[in-house]
This record gives sequence, structure tokens and C-alpha cells, in this order.
Amino acid sequence: MSVGSQPHQTRRVIGEDEDIVITHEDVDRAHDRVRVSAARAQRGFFSGARLLWLLVGPGVLVMLGENDGPSMLSYAATGAKFGIGFFIPFVVLTFCMAIVVQEMTVRLGAATHRGHAELIFDRFGPFWGWFSMLDLAIGNFLTLITEFIAIRAGLGFFGVPPWMAVLLALVILYAALMSHRYWTWERITLAAAAFNLVFIPVALMTHPSWHSVGHSLITWKPLPGFNKDTLLIVLADIGATVTPWMLFFQQSATVDKGMTTKDIRFGRIDTVLGAALATAAAVATIVATAPLFAHQMTADNFQAAEFAQALQPIIGRLGASLFALGMVEAGIVASITISASSAYAFGEVTHKPHSLNLPLGEGKSFYSVLTLCAVAAGAIVLIPGLPLVYVVLVVNVVAVLAMPPALVFLFMLVNDREIMGDRVSPAWANVLSTAVVFVLTAAGVLFGISVIAPNIFAALGGG
Amino acid sequence: MVRKDEGHVFSSSDQELVFSSLEHDQLVRAKKHHIPRRHLKGPELAVLWALRIYLLFMMAVVVYQVWIAAH
Repeated sequence: MSVGSQPHQTRRVIGEDEDIVITHEDVDRAHDRVRVSAARAQRGFFSGARLLWLLVGPGVLVMLGENDGPSMLSYAATGAKFGIGFFIPFVVLTFCMAIVVQEMTVRLGAATHRGHAELIFDRFGPFWGWFSMLDLAIGNFLTLITEFIAIRAGLGFFGVPPWMAVLLALVILYAALMSHRYWTWERITLAAAAFNLVFIPVALMTHPSWHSVGHSLITWKPLPGFNKDTLLIVLADIGATVTPWMLFFQQSATVDKGMTTKDIRFGRIDTVLGAALATAAAVATIVATAPLFAHQMTADNFQAAEFAQALQPIIGRLGASLFALGMVEAGIVASITISASSAYAFGEVTHKPHSLNLPLGEGKSFYSVLTLCAVAAGAIVLIPGLPLVYVVLVVNVVAVLAMPPALVFLFMLVNDREIMGDRVSPAWANVLSTAVVFVLTAAGVLFGISVIAPNIFAALGGG
Repeated sequence: MVRKDEGHVFSSSDQELVFSSLEHDQLVRAKKHHIPRRHLKGPELAVLWALRIYLLFMMAVVVYQVWIAAH
């Protein structure tokens, strides 16, 4: 049995003799779908472009949202520690892994019209469902804390006090929600996310050697030394591109947007477009901080503000300000998307209304969870003496470690013919996703070895 | 029979719009029905348990790392 789009099958879900209740959420979503249908009915380039405009969103948001505070700090640390070399193609590879993973959530959401948490609970039962939710809740909350760390540090460059930085971020997050329409929320957040590309002009201001960038992309050289520091950066860069919240967010957003199996092609384009933009911003950040490597500056404990200050003699006050603002944007967009991811999952599991199309009165629990997560994370960042840099590092590592179990659930769901019908993954996609699981698990195991038996790395020639 | 959401009145054109634009299982009401539970086979359970143990062990490693760093 499929719960996909075929009418004769959906009757089973609703029940022919049952009352059909329509809600505000249904009406709002129907209005969005009418515009999509109208664009699809027409032919020509502009109609195609309009259809793309209407259907992009979840993929771009999830990819630029994952270029969040800790991710941009990881990329900045990568450039400062290793310069232009191995890590530039490596980051491109990690975004390719992200495309493989996220494409599956598009298909799942479009075929089942159910969120990720809901599917795990329904198909695998509450025992595995709660495990999965626990991973998500812990990961999301820790990540949310790091977003506020980035916002605080970025605005700190301009002399904004921490409490005001947190308050400003919360106001922006709340303002995006005020429309109570998924479409408006998505467009506001997309506009904010576009600012992630500010790292590209910052990189250009450093006058990078394009020959070196091209050479590293082709040859993956120069290679870094194999030691614990390199492994931590490898893990942090993987954690900067593939994390559990992305699976839950993109599937829920696909459902909330009202996408169907007819839209899967555009969902894929959306995901690839998002990955391309996010890759450009990530590589630009590495290139932007590469001069710190050339100047032999130690950036081990740098936050956003310190990176901006260190870059100021090279790219001037304007460039440094743009860098700091980019960090603030990264934190704000991710805090919006991650708190939405938590609220969606909470609603799906508790069967409370969960949509950004809900009026405030109907979506009290949804908006409460979303707001409370952000407020609590923002408050923690204000605790004096908190080792912020260390928290960022630990969060990225935890994200990598939690990914294999999350991916296996995704893998099983997307190959479940009873819910996916003929939309199950093709063999090549299964090979790629299995490879991603192995890479992530191996990275986690290597991290464990580096902690428990650090001498092994020294014996292999590292520090 | 089509009912309206409690406390709200939707026009007949809204109702028509909803039923013509959304697939049946996209309706909020339809999502109240659970998808049937899947029976997990032995190898699937083994993989899920193995990854759960992996995650718990690695989390302990992270806590150990944090403890080392704090001291």
C-alpha cells in the first residue's frame, strides 16, 4: 500500500464515510498550489522560471541554513590553519554527500506528505522513534546555542553587547514568523540566507591566487599532515554540511510547502542549487581566511570577531565588517531553520498542529516550541565564562556522530515500497547513501581512536 | 460531507479550491491517520542496535574528551 498521490489509495487514509474538515492550513496551502499549477500549465522559458521560483525553498534554505555559525567558523579555521589545498575539494565533496542525503528527504516528503519524525514513529514504532527524537532534540538544542554564539561574536565586532545581540536575533526570528504563512516565512528567510554569499566578495578582497585554488581543486594538494588537529577539522567540516536536523527540516518543509510527486524534479534542482550556493560560500570562507595561514597566525581559539579583526589589516574595515556580518547572518538563518525543525518534529510526534501556515491561535504549541527553543539557547549564551569555542567544536563532532543512525532510518524509509510506491531509491542512490554512512561512521570511529589512543596518530607520523 | 474548521467559516470557493488543488492525503485531516507499523527483520534490528550502541559509546567518548579538556 502506498500513501502516495493516487486517489484510489488515499481514500483508504481518509475514509469515504468520514467527515472531511478543512482548515486554514489547507486553504493557505491550496492557494500556493494554485499558483504552481498555473505556472505548470503554461509553456516557455518564463513559465519554467516562474515554476522554479515557486518551488525553490526547502533545498536552498536547508543548505544555506547549514552554512551556519559553527560551520562558517569551521571553514574559517580550516583556511587559517591549512590555507588553500586539500580542504577546498574536500568541502565540495561533503556538499555532494549532502545532496545525496537531502534528495531522499524531498522524495519522502513529496510521496508521503508526512514529516520525517512522523514517519519514523509510525513505521518503526515509538521505541526507535523516541531514540531518534532524543538525538534530534539534543543535537538541535546544542546547535542552536552555537548559532547564538556566532551572532553574539559577530555583532561583538561592532561593539554590540551580548544581551542586545541575542535580543536582536530573537526579534528577527519572531518577525519572520509573524505572517503565519509558510510562503512568506520562506521568502523572508531565503532573502536573509542570500546574505551568506557575502563571503564571496570578502574572499575577492584578499586577492587570492586562482591558480592555487584551481590546482587544489584538481589535485587535492597540498595535503595536510595526518594528526589529531587535521582529523578534528575533517570532522568539523563534515559536521558543517551533513547533520540530522537537515533531514527533518527539509522533509517537513517539503510537506508544509505542499510539494507533490510532480514537483520532485524541481525539489532536486532546489537541493542542488542550494548546495552550489552553500559550496561557493564555504569555499569563499576558506579562501578568505587563507591569508592568516600565509601569515602564520594561530587561529585555534578564534571566534567570528577575532577572525574579522585578524583579517582587517588585509581586507580593510569594510571587508572585516562584511565577514562579521556574514557570521551574524549565518547564525540568524540557522536559528530560524533549526528551531523550525524542532517545532515540526515536536508537532509530528505529539500529533499537534504543525505548520508555518497556522494562525497563532491554532498553532500555539508549534510556535511555543519554536520560540522557547530559541529563547533558551539565546539565554545560555549569555552565561558568563562559558567556553564558547569549545562548545562549537563539540557540537560539530556530535552532529557527525549522530548522523549514521539518522541516515539508516532515512535509508530504510526511502526504500520502503509500502509508503514510497515506485518512488523508492534506485540502486545507484542506495550505493551512494551507503557510502555516505560508511564515511561518516569511519570519521566518528577515527575521532574515538584519536581521543582514547592519541599515541596511534603520533606513531603514524602526526602530532 | 464537508465541515468547516471550528470557529472559522470558509467560502464555498475556498472549499472548492482545497479539494481541487490538494491531493487527499495532503489535507490536515488525512494526516491524523497513522501509517501502519512495519515489521523489522532481524538484520534491520541488528543494524539499528549496532548504530545505537555506536552512538552511545561515541557520546561517552565526547563526554570523556570534554572532561579531559575541563581538567
